[in-house]
Amino acid sequence: MAGPAPLPMLPPPTLLPLGDAALLIRFATSLTDLANRTAIGCAQALARDPVPGVVEVVPNLVSVLLRYDPRIVALNTLMGEVRLRLFGLSFDAAASPAAAWTIPTRFGGGAGPDLEEVAAALGLTAEAFVAAHNGTTLRVLATGFAPGFVYCGFHSEALVLPRRNVVRRSVPRGSVLFAAGQTAITATEIPTGWHVIGHTDFANFDMAALPPTTLAPGDQLIFEALA
Amino acid sequence: MSAVLTISRAAPLSTIQDAGRFGMLRHGISASGAMDAGAFRLAGALAGVQSDGAIEFTAAGLDIEMSKGRCVAGMAGGGFKAAHNGTSLAWPGRVELKAGDRLSITPGDWGNYGYLRFDRNFDLPVVMGGLSTSTRAMIGGLEGRALKAGDVLALAGVGSPLKDSVIEPRQYDGPIRVIWGLHADMFTQSLRQRFLHATFAIARQMDRMGVRLSDPSGVFAAAKILSLVSDAVVPGDIQIMGDGTPVVLMRDHQPTGGYPRIATIASVDLDRFAQLRPGAPVAFQSINVDHAHLLLRSGQP
Repeated sequence: MAGPAPLPMLPPPTLLPLGDAALLIRFATSLTDLANRTAIGCAQALARDPVPGVVEVVPNLVSVLLRYDPRIVALNTLMGEVRLRLFGLSFDAAASPAAAWTIPTRFGGGAGPDLEEVAAALGLTAEAFVAAHNGTTLRVLATGFAPGFVYCGFHSEALVLPRRNVVRRSVPRGSVLFAAGQTAITATEIPTGWHVIGHTDFANFDMAALPPTTLAPGDQLIFEALA
Repeated sequence: MSAVLTISRAAPLSTIQDAGRFGMLRHGISASGAMDAGAFRLAGALAGVQSDGAIEFTAAGLDIEMSKGRCVAGMAGGGFKAAHNGTSLAWPGRVELKAGDRLSITPGDWGNYGYLRFDRNFDLPVVMGGLSTSTRAMIGGLEGRALKAGDVLALAGVGSPLKDSVIEPRQYDGPIRVIWGLHADMFTQSLRQRFLHATFAIARQMDRMGVRLSDPSGVFAAAKILSLVSDAVVPGDIQIMGDGTPVVLMRDHQPTGGYPRIATIASVDLDRFAQLRPGAPVAFQSINVDHAHLLLRSGQP
C-alpha cells in the first residue's frame, strides 16, 4: 500500500504570544487539511524534543499552543528555540503511527433527530447519507471545546453543510454531530449548534482514567451504522 | 486525627479550588483553579501549612461549623468580615477551630472571591491530578458541583511544609494591563486606540467562566465580527461576541473558542481583575510580553 503523499511545505508559521505565559504556533487562519496535519505533527515533534521552560504542548485545529513558565524562559529565547526546531522540517501527522478506531453509531430516530433534515438538505436519502458519511475514513483533527469533544474530518465537498440556526441547549454525551464538512463526537453533555445525526456508546472521556481521553489528534476513525 | 466541618451557608457558586489542574488542555479540559491565585496562596500561608485545596466563596460569604476534631484555617481574598463564635477576627487572618465552633464570613467592602484554607487536606477524590471544581465540566471538588448548605467536608492527613511566603495584599489600582491578543490585527488601529482610551464596566453577568463588560461608549458596537477557526483560549482573553459585547474569559474558560480576541490580561493583573465587582469601571493599558514578565518576576504591582 502506498503511503500518503508527502506534504507540501507550508509558509513559516506565525508565532503569536497568547498572554504572557503562552505562545501560539499558527499554521493558517482557516482550517485546511494541510495546516491541520502540520499542527498535529508539530505538536508531536515538540513533545519528542521539548523546549526548556515549556510546560504544556497542545495541538489545535490549525495551531499548537505552548504554555511556558515565564520565570524559566523569556519570550525571545522561546521563539528562537521553536524556530530552530521548525526550520526546514515538514511535520506530518500521517508519518507517525496513528491508532485506528471504529465508532459504532445509531443514526437517525431519537439518537439522531436531525438526520432526515441533513440528508434532505444534501439531496440524499437518509440511507444514502449514512453510507456516504461512513464511507470515508476520518481523522481526529483536534480535541477541544469541552472534555473529550473531538472534531473529525474531512468529508467530501458533497457533504458540506453549515451549522443549524438554532443552538440546542443540551445534547447527551456520545452525540454524533455533523456540520461544516466534519463530524464531531461529544463526550459530555453540552450545548451545540451542530446537527445531531446519531449516537454512539463510545465514551471518549473518563475522568477516573489517565489519560482521561482515548482518541488523539491524528487517529483514524470509521463510523459504522448499528441496525 | 481527622476533622469534619459542615457548611451551614454558602454563597452561590462557592466551590472547592486549588492552584489549577494544568496539563489537561489536550483533553479539552481547562485548568480551573482559584480565581484570585494570590489570595489562595496567602490563605495557605496564613494556615501555616501548604494544603492542596481551599473553599472559594463568592461575595455573600460562607458559614461553617466544626462537627468534629480541630484545625487551623487561613482566610484571605477580597475585603470580607469574619467572626469566630460571634467574635470578630482580623481579615485576612488565621483562626483555630475546634468541635462545635462556628466561623462566619460575611460580605465586606470589596471583592468577589475569598478563600478558606486549612492546615490539612480535604478528604476528596483527586480528579485528573487536581481538586479544582469545574461546574461547567462537572468535575472535581465535591461531585463536580458548587457547595451548598448541609455539605460535609472531611479533612485528613496534614498539608505539606509551607512553600510560599506571605504575600502582602495588593495596593495597585491602575489600569488593567493587557497584551495585544491573538486577533488584535483584525481590529483597526483606531478601534484598538479607542479600546485603550475607553472606560468599560464590570457587568452583572460574571462567573468563573467569564466576565462580561459593559461598553457604554460603544467601542465595539459597530465592530464586524467574523467567524474564525476555533483556536486555543487562555485565561484573561478578552473576546468580542457577535453582538459586540466584550467578555473576559476566566479560569473555567472553554479550552478553545471561535470569537476574536483583541487582548489578554497580563497574569500579574488577572487576580485583581477577578475581584472587581459589578459596576466597577475598567480601563486597559497595553504592555508588551517582556514588560509583563518583568512585573511577574519583580513581584511588584
